Amino acid sequence: MSDYGVLLQQVVNGLSLGAMYALLALGFTLVYGILELINFAHFNVFMVSSFVGMWALEFLGISGQSHVLTGLALAGTLAFAFAVTMIAAGVLGVAIERLSLRPLRGVRGTAAMITTIGVSYILFNVILLTVGAGSENYPNPLPVVRWQLGEVTLELKELLIWGVAVALMVALHFFVSRTRLGKAMRATAQDAEAARMMGVDVDRVIVTAFFLGSALAGAAALIFGLYYNYTSFIIGYTAGLRAFTAAVLGGIGSIPGAMVGGLLIGLIETLGGQLIAVRWTDVIIFSILVLVLVFVPTGLLGRSAPTKS
Amino acid sequence: MLSRRSLIIHLSTTALVGAVAVRAQPAAATDKTAKIGINLPFTGADAHDAELIKDGAMLAIDEANAQGGVAGYKIEVLQLDDGTATAGQYDPAQAATNARKMVSDKEVVAAIGPQMSGSGKAMSPILSQGDLATITPSSTNPDITDPKFAGQYRPKGKAIYFRTVTTDAFQGPNMANFYADTLKVNSVYVLDDSGAYGVGISDTFQAQAEKRGIKVLGRDQLNPREADYTTTLTKIKSLNPDALYYGGVAQAGVKVVKQSYDIIPKVLKGGGDGCYGAEILRGASFPAAEGWYATIAAPNVLENPEAAPTIERFVKKYGLQPENYSITAYDAALVILDAIKRVATSGKEVTRGAVRDAIQTAHVKTLQGEVTFDDNGDVQNRVISVFRIVKDDKYPLDDVLHQYKYIGVAPQSS
Repeated sequence: MSDYGVLLQQVVNGLSLGAMYALLALGFTLVYGILELINFAHFNVFMVSSFVGMWALEFLGISGQSHVLTGLALAGTLAFAFAVTMIAAGVLGVAIERLSLRPLRGVRGTAAMITTIGVSYILFNVILLTVGAGSENYPNPLPVVRWQLGEVTLELKELLIWGVAVALMVALHFFVSRTRLGKAMRATAQDAEAARMMGVDVDRVIVTAFFLGSALAGAAALIFGLYYNYTSFIIGYTAGLRAFTAAVLGGIGSIPGAMVGGLLIGLIETLGGQLIAVRWTDVIIFSILVLVLVFVPTGLLGRSAPTKS
Repeated sequence: MLSRRSLIIHLSTTALVGAVAVRAQPAAATDKTAKIGINLPFTGADAHDAELIKDGAMLAIDEANAQGGVAGYKIEVLQLDDGTATAGQYDPAQAATNARKMVSDKEVVAAIGPQMSGSGKAMSPILSQGDLATITPSSTNPDITDPKFAGQYRPKGKAIYFRTVTTDAFQGPNMANFYADTLKVNSVYVLDDSGAYGVGISDTFQAQAEKRGIKVLGRDQLNPREADYTTTLTKIKSLNPDALYYGGVAQAGVKVVKQSYDIIPKVLKGGGDGCYGAEILRGASFPAAEGWYATIAAPNVLENPEAAPTIERFVKKYGLQPENYSITAYDAALVILDAIKRVATSGKEVTRGAVRDAIQTAHVKTLQGEVTFDDNGDVQNRVISVFRIVKDDKYPLDDVLHQYKYIGVAPQSS
């Protein structure tokens, strides 16, 4: 492989990683946009959903990588797995909001954020203690299809990741910009008080934000499992931290920012690993984050909140 | 001042305690106990293998107790877990805490463990201060017993870290010899998992590979908590090596096995004893794991006919197939039991110091042959066995005994 070919392959790898980070980053950004709360439970909502997706696939009788499906059976299986995982993740997100965050609404300071850290640890330990600590061999019904484009190898599962990520982001964009509830979300994000006065049901908006954000994490989790054929109780930490960084890099609260940030972090990770060394990945990512925040404190696509006094 | 009521309670409890104490005294004289500490990572990525190691040790201890104990001593076990949820695998900080717990429990006369060298490095200085000997059935990092580092790992001087396996001073280099002589590898890429064991074994492998004329195309370090190794593996693909060597344990190993199957399917792959075990079979499974080479730092006792009755008892008791390190743990327990027995029958008091000295001079017949130690605590019998994962559909896919095919002994450098 020529140097150019390797770099191109790393870009392909980076885009796949970036698509996952972007989906996960959207969850941070949606909640932050509305509540100005960094939801650390999101890390492990992602992790728990990957197990839900695994159980959904196993429920359909798929185990390991030997049950390969094609055509309609594959489409149906994936649609079922995505639906179950995203709904379960969404419900989990809403439950976290309802049970642990709503009672703290209006409490000043960091109480809510600390609570999300606590919830995150609860989810982490529940999975550790019930499922165990081993690495799971994730069921995967996708056939191994590879295309050789020049020096770059493209896999079916990569196309799936990009397709699902783009479709979900377009759907989210449409939802936020075109629907009534989406408008209510934007209004609440700008000024919750004023929105409430105009008759917006703020609680409903918050529940929606948690549901959507967590459902996207669910989609990211299933993609993660199918891409790596692997899950474990520890996956939330690294992926979550990277995605959170992506959200901040893109401008937390900004939906396009989360998408751009996710892709950038993915590319920085793979190209940095290729050009320097993989063990320096975290140093590279966080140095870039610090630089961006020093020079553009609101993130790449973030706006300074004009209405907050 | 005591009120009347509490005075009565106070007096009666004192009387009760007194009565119990009086009653317990004669019983204690005939029924003495000695404790063995067991420290393994029961939480995290290596839990399954840790359990199998513990089962090996417990088999020997339970059998000794069933025969009335050892020279009048009933053997008890203090079981500790050095795996933590935050680390997701063994945690050296927890291992250090556990070592202190064992040292502070006066009844503990010897210990078995740890499984991992990273824990061993943390425990060894504490055990040395407490004069408590431990026998590890699986940790292979050579530094811990190397006299060069004696000041660090055994500040009190005497060897307290014994092993029933040999070290990576042989495991890495002998595998490099196997790569060169048997597999005819010309170029290799080396990965480690940034743990004490992984870095150590990769270093020794790499040094010997270079000495044998294998071109080392690169070396990288993986973060075991990271999920994505495609960047590293794509880099390796572009260098087109004949072989990959992975030094590390299962947490990163599972992902290396899976993703390398995807990205560099044709490259020959192998690793140390971190790649030998049920975790790899379970987490990575087939087809990804097919064809991987792995070593262990002990003779292949599982297929030794003399070990068959023990293995049969193991399977009957636990319903699981043992691994080779279950057997080295069984051997470790035999050595400790023998040491306690020799101390007790010689009429001396069974203390830590006495048991340590007895372990040092052990000549115990075990399943891997006679175990004797050198002055640093390393076993004298230095054999590295090579295995290859070859799927056998007749057995469960995580059955270590049947899915790892024994290839032979890795050539020792002269």
